[in-house]
Amino acid sequence: MAKKSGSSFGNFDKSTVFDPRPVKPITTEFSKGSVPDSLYTINRESAWSRWRRGYEIATARFYDNSYEYPFVYMIPVPTGTPTPGNPPSIPGVFKGFPTSNKEFGMHWAGTRNAGSLRFDNIFDKNGIPASIKSVTEDANYWYIQLEGAWSTTNPLPPPLYVPLPGSPVGLKAINGEILEDRIITPQGIPITRDTINPNTQTRYGYVQAVLADTDPFNGILKLRKAGSVEATPDKNLITPASRPPNVGRFLMTGTRYCCSCQDFNRRDYGYMSSLNRVSESLRSKFPRSGMSSLKPGRYEVMSLSGVVDNSAMTSAQANRDMLIVSPSPQYNVPPTVTPTTSTKPGAARDNPGVFRDFGSMYLRSTTDPSLPGARAEGMPSYEDYAASNNVITSLTDTWTPLLDEMRYCKHIYAMKYEEGVFPPEPSDFPVGIGSMVAWEQRLVSETEKDQASAAAKLQRESLSIMDVPPYNCQAPMMMPMMQKLFNIPSNFVKMAGFKMLDKDGNIYIPAKGEKPSA
Amino acid sequence: MANFGDVVDSNFIYSATQLNTRIYGDSTITYSGSPTVYHVGDVVHLPYVSGEISTMEAVGLAWAAFASGLGPA
Repeated sequence: MAKKSGSSFGNFDKSTVFDPRPVKPITTEFSKGSVPDSLYTINRESAWSRWRRGYEIATARFYDNSYEYPFVYMIPVPTGTPTPGNPPSIPGVFKGFPTSNKEFGMHWAGTRNAGSLRFDNIFDKNGIPASIKSVTEDANYWYIQLEGAWSTTNPLPPPLYVPLPGSPVGLKAINGEILEDRIITPQGIPITRDTINPNTQTRYGYVQAVLADTDPFNGILKLRKAGSVEATPDKNLITPASRPPNVGRFLMTGTRYCCSCQDFNRRDYGYMSSLNRVSESLRSKFPRSGMSSLKPGRYEVMSLSGVVDNSAMTSAQANRDMLIVSPSPQYNVPPTVTPTTSTKPGAARDNPGVFRDFGSMYLRSTTDPSLPGARAEGMPSYEDYAASNNVITSLTDTWTPLLDEMRYCKHIYAMKYEEGVFPPEPSDFPVGIGSMVAWEQRLVSETEKDQASAAAKLQRESLSIMDVPPYNCQAPMMMPMMQKLFNIPSNFVKMAGFKMLDKDGNIYIPAKGEKPSA
Repeated sequence: MANFGDVVDSNFIYSATQLNTRIYGDSTITYSGSPTVYHVGDVVHLPYVSGEISTMEAVGLAWAAFASGLGPA
């Protein structure tokens, strides 16, 4: 992406009349000029730099910038479900990171607490809970056989596997989740990396890995070794894990993080509040995206009562719908015709006036270098889509599950630091950037300064009540993040489901007009 | 009062109270804002009683309803 005016992420392009006279042949050479070179791209994309920056923003203004909104989301159950006495819910927290790079001056990140989904609540037809029966492995994956009698007539229950009426393939809704073997006994308290086994007086330890795929008819989960984390008996976190999950334990979901920042979304959201305010010349701007940056993919549209609605939210009572548009039916999310999915040939990963896609999805190579013919973990690859004879054969965009550590932005690293599960130092240290000492010293001082000025700007301009979670959760910028965070269908993300906790731990329900205590 | 040639460490003298509060490891750290607390705990919805459904089941019900075109109640 060439350098543009506006924020460091650029801004919407101004329409200009093409003038061929100043066009000259490209004389630049590899790694020179304003076109970002491959080293620059690798450094910018490196997990190490996000990890380091995450530590910095967590510590720079640790106590001043604590914009936190704990919540309990009450999952709306489908019609006909018996209403239970203790309704099921998802606990989590929204956290704001002041920034000058975003409209309203805030990136909103969210977490869903670990243990929301527990495998000791999954039973086969005989009522046997799904503990880890045995583990086998190959070079890249662990294969977890779950306890229980699973077959084509008794597959793993939803959300692990959701049969689709009239379709041979079902949904595997929680593929991409992080799983941890932290439950020792059914209905027991999950262990932490500090829990000591009373029989041996050593720490239990656990393993964390991403669920890559599910074999619902045989009761097998496929966990990816690359990016796995092990809590060792001496309380360290190491990656990749040196051993598989423990047989006999129950899996549960790990903490899930999502963020609304440009890096996590790979998108630049529109700066609408300044579009017609700054100067007369900007008034002629019509939001559009350059043709050269458009790539096949999916985008979402927010609508209220059937009408497209990209405005800021003004009511905690109105519920918007999210429609995901994909270029052909096989890329619908999920892969079936549903009320919230539609197909539009030629759909791109872009929604002019709302967001512009950066392009270049980061994919890491997961092959084992010890295998003959395999690539070593080295240069990252980038993929947007693959096509053969003008037919798209695969899509990679922000709606593709890519939930491993490479998808963490610096805000998520900051939250992991504050939570005490800061991961080990990633190995993709930036290359060719001169003195790391100078770089870090500049980072420390600039982060401190940036955070202070962004927070001061935020205090001066202030956020309206509708600009903070959960009131803004159905704004165009937030809804895709909410769907990914909760991992439930977007029409199940309702304003009425949010119970918020104020600073004293008292519950208030925004949809009922309640406010935090002063 | 320092005389000419004395080595002085600072340009003012700490009071006894100040010295007491500056003992390493014992001084009170003050900060503004509230400290980061965002884990109400990893244990959710325990224990269950008869008739209650877990979050796992509820998420499963939501996806199953979605797949068959149903919405939330």
